[in-house]
Amino acid sequence: MTQTPQTNQSTEHLNPGKLNAFIDGELPPAERQGIEQHLTGCHACTMGVLSATQLKAATASAGHRFAPPPEALARLTAHFHSQPQAETRTKKSARIYSMTSLRPLAWAALAAAILLTVSLLGWRQLHQTNALAAELLDQHLATLSSGATPQVISTDRHTVKPWFQGRLPFSFNLPDPAALPPDTTLKGADLTYINGQPAALLLFTIHKHEVSIFLTQRTPGPILTALPSSRSGFAIHSTTTHDLLIVAVSDVNPADLDLLVAALVRAQ
Amino acid sequence: MFNSQHLPVYAVSLHRLNLRQTEALRTMPSTISRSATFEELALPLFASLYNHAFWLTRNQSEAEDLVQETFSKALRAFDSFQLGTNFKAWIFRILRNTFLTSRTGIATSRTVFLEDHPDTLDTVASSTPEDTLIRLDNQAALHLALEQLQPQLREVLLLCDVEEIKYKDIAAILDVPIGTVMSRISRARSTLRQLLQPQLGESL
Repeated sequence: MTQTPQTNQSTEHLNPGKLNAFIDGELPPAERQGIEQHLTGCHACTMGVLSATQLKAATASAGHRFAPPPEALARLTAHFHSQPQAETRTKKSARIYSMTSLRPLAWAALAAAILLTVSLLGWRQLHQTNALAAELLDQHLATLSSGATPQVISTDRHTVKPWFQGRLPFSFNLPDPAALPPDTTLKGADLTYINGQPAALLLFTIHKHEVSIFLTQRTPGPILTALPSSRSGFAIHSTTTHDLLIVAVSDVNPADLDLLVAALVRAQ
Repeated sequence: MFNSQHLPVYAVSLHRLNLRQTEALRTMPSTISRSATFEELALPLFASLYNHAFWLTRNQSEAEDLVQETFSKALRAFDSFQLGTNFKAWIFRILRNTFLTSRTGIATSRTVFLEDHPDTLDTVASSTPEDTLIRLDNQAALHLALEQLQPQLREVLLLCDVEEIKYKDIAAILDVPIGTVMSRISRARSTLRQLLQPQLGESL
């Protein structure tokens, strides 16, 4: 980055290039300080920086979309260790070590690699389920704010279900109101993404408690079914049907949540 | 070209060694040690490389193959990697070059990209800053907008915002001047915002 004169920095508005360099942390300290000083007195530029920062954060979140399949890391490490040793070994090392002396080391390396793979898979599994639980809870909390309006507002299942046609690569059934547990009402629905997959978000109330139900396609792997049963005081109930994964998040009594999930499973 | 700030694990391990040990590590002819060092640096980047590979190839098995080939090439070329430089930028560059020589990459590179028009970069959007404080929590709209972005613009934005790689390292990965990186980022964000406006308008 080039250094620019500081004399009139605090009075100059930010152009797009400078704004991007500022939010990306690419400016030298002096120039950054000058801009920060300008922002304290310029509403328009402050809003511009806020908006750009929002977009950057949202891009970071949306761009982190494709997780490797659980078995991909194991395949990679297997591929690694199946590569011919001759390809990577130097002639010098070949002279120094005989095959006999390398064998214990090779076994030790293989054992270490297996241990590392298992540990990484375990850590990754735990990390992913925790991250997914946090993502689901965040989405549920977002639905609780007064400004959050679902894209389709209806208590009629014949309105809600068709709304998803063309928006989701799968279909699902909604139970008849009579088949729902007592004092349980459908409020509306939204299109969302969980774990990088398109999902239907159904909003219910049970005894005035808000409930978010996420329906998405069932994918192979244990990640989605190994979700914790609660997080931050909210109950998380996940189950699967032949084609679907259904996850419910709410602060309602877990037994009442189970009844609603069971009604949804029966409807499929 | 690359710096050492993104190598915390390796930096810490080197700090723990004295000079003689460090020298011994450098000159040790053991393939196992070299391979272990490589895995220590490369495996934590597996998920990031896969995510980026998927964005490039738009296909799960191709993305996995691309990452596997990248790891193989990187291991073979690991002797040319300069210790203390940015390993993440180094391996992302290998990933990208490997992609460009693949069938999908060659097909993608045939798409003509209208490179960086300075006159379009400094245009001020007609909307007010308040208008642009849009509902960016709408993930579906963001995903769609990212899908619609030109691949070259999307790539630079992913490297900057998702992978948090510095401009000079992005320039090395893409093999373009740093000024081109800056103009592409500017153009990518401006285009992304334009793409988001109508979609969010519908959902509001």
